[in-house]
Amino acid sequence: MTVKPSNKTSQIDQEILKLCNDKIDSFLDYNDDISVIKREAFKRYSKKGLPNRFEESWKYTNIHKKLQNIPVSDKNYPIPLNVDNFINSFDIMSKIKSDNDILIVFMDGQFIPELSMLEYSKNGIEINFLSHGDVPRWASELMINKHNVNEDPLFDLNTILMQEGVLINVSANVKIDSNVYIIHIGNNDGFFNYRHVINVGKDSHINVTELKVSNRVNDALYTSSVLWNIGDNAIVNNVKYQAHNQSTVGFNQQYADVGSGSIFNSFTISSGSKLLRESRNISCNGENSEVSISGVNLLDGESHIDTTLVVSHKAPNSLSKEKYKSILSDRSRSVFQGNIVVDQIAQKTIAKQSIDALILSNDAEHDSKPELEIYADDVQCGHGATTGQLSEDSLFYLRARGIGEDEARRLLVHAFISDVMEEIQDTNLRNVLRDVMNNMLNRVSKGRLNV
Amino acid sequence: MFEIKNLNASIQDKQILKDFNLKVNPGEVHAIMGPNGSGKSTLAHVCAGREEYEISSGSVGLDGINLLDLEPEERAVRGLFLAFQYPVEIPGVASMTFLKSALSAHYKFNGKKELTIPEFMKLIKEKSNSLNISDDMIKRPLNVGFSGGEKKRNEVLQMTLLEPKICILDETDSGLDIDALRLVANGVNLLRSKERSFVVITHYQRLLDYIEPDFVHIMADGKIIETGDKNLALDLEKTGYNDYIEKDI
Repeated sequence: MTVKPSNKTSQIDQEILKLCNDKIDSFLDYNDDISVIKREAFKRYSKKGLPNRFEESWKYTNIHKKLQNIPVSDKNYPIPLNVDNFINSFDIMSKIKSDNDILIVFMDGQFIPELSMLEYSKNGIEINFLSHGDVPRWASELMINKHNVNEDPLFDLNTILMQEGVLINVSANVKIDSNVYIIHIGNNDGFFNYRHVINVGKDSHINVTELKVSNRVNDALYTSSVLWNIGDNAIVNNVKYQAHNQSTVGFNQQYADVGSGSIFNSFTISSGSKLLRESRNISCNGENSEVSISGVNLLDGESHIDTTLVVSHKAPNSLSKEKYKSILSDRSRSVFQGNIVVDQIAQKTIAKQSIDALILSNDAEHDSKPELEIYADDVQCGHGATTGQLSEDSLFYLRARGIGEDEARRLLVHAFISDVMEEIQDTNLRNVLRDVMNNMLNRVSKGRLNV
Repeated sequence: MFEIKNLNASIQDKQILKDFNLKVNPGEVHAIMGPNGSGKSTLAHVCAGREEYEISSGSVGLDGINLLDLEPEERAVRGLFLAFQYPVEIPGVASMTFLKSALSAHYKFNGKKELTIPEFMKLIKEKSNSLNISDDMIKRPLNVGFSGGEKKRNEVLQMTLLEPKICILDETDSGLDIDALRLVANGVNLLRSKERSFVVITHYQRLLDYIEPDFVHIMADGKIIETGDKNLALDLEKTGYNDYIEKDI
């Protein structure tokens, strides 16, 4: 069945376009790299506006509906006075700080130096900020490269509106075992746009953990894009934890180019959100590169989490592994679209995708769409998807041993995500996140998540 | 005492148990034999509380309490144990976690003080040694990657730990080689006592060479059609079920 798209733009479409129009004015008279791509992005975006469901990659996610009643304004708010207490109130943050870590904290679209720790960055890690004006050449080049090939209107939107972000340049042969934390805190209503760019030099090892949390119930909207460029023989462990309230809408984009012999592990835990779109575009550009993209989604209420992933193999002998698990309760909905593209040159590619969803209520929905585009003839590519409820056989077996129904459900819900959590490489971080997840899962197994 | 009275149960409008009666005194071992489809496994699952069966009438009493009014976990802590024909593999649930949860539930119900971790570990080690269950097996997720014999030994380990009053063994011998069968039977025999009774469901007489029953019942078409001592099982082995079923008709 085909339905013709409506020519009418939605209210939200018009509001966002107007905001972009206002913002772009201040970049009209400059010819620096950033001003140029902002103008180009605006030109491209203004022709199309927000994507709608008639586009293949947006079939399962109605962005216009989810954005209704979300205020489109990027006004800034003062930092709350009891900011330390506020930070510590997030379970996870109080557990992660270490003296050797680099901590980069943003709140409602602004960098917060008082909460950040940049001292350790002397050792081969150069840190700049987008808002500080002079964007280093390496960072603007990476942004221009992505901008030139981009087809995602939300990335254009992010380019037009990006106001703050961190630019991290790791020199060659830098090996740090501490963590770089990039923390976003949503504290007030508003529309916030982050752009982070991370360049990892050859032979370097780095751990980058992103935390995104929102505080009280508010109507926040954000876009956030992270551009990764990973040199040869590097190892990058990236963990992202995002827990939002039920009225936050977030559009995340991750782009990663992975060089020869390099390993990129990226693990994401997402929970809550009115709408969260995780667009990820990972490219095995070099021979023998390895990527592992995995994660857990916990959904309750009316949450909608859409993970749209493109993994491209552009060189021989590369390996990719995707493993996602979603747990849904109430009337939540999760979407997984996973595209694996194997170029003709990328012989001996191994690509695996496994997507599982556990549905705990009658009104939740999970849509899974694997896509394989294979142009090479000597590859191993596989995908598998399951969607189901807790196994009645397993529940009965546990109960028949005296284990109460709630406890039995709890054990089985934990069991469902147990293997995927092993994908987190850092044992300490894995344990902290396991604890956090355990608390959340104890609630979800009874049918309520309440993050 | 364990007593099933006039039990009628059906699944999807097909009646499986038809006025089923059985009385098991403490310390007794009853074997139930019968052809495929006679309702043996249904009987076991109905007693343990499997939900998909419709029970139209009857009772399953344990020490005067009708188990049919209780949830499966309440039946378990009151002393009913079903050894599964096909123990379920549960990836992600550690065997130890499972055993600890099950044991805690029993201790809690019986008002016993919960074991400390070292006490628990000691108990597991002691009980698993006698069943030839290795540390490695206990460290794996519940039943995952276990051989048929290991799964059944694991069932007996649970039975040993939970100390039930009435054990229903649902074709525990199926899929076992002779050595595994002997090991499982020995485990069961060690549990025999004046207070504990057993209902052993099996197709074959062989198991009864190792677990000697006080009574043997032949079940067909949802009810017991013949009762005798252990010699009934031997006769059955020679003649097959048909003689008895025809006689009943």
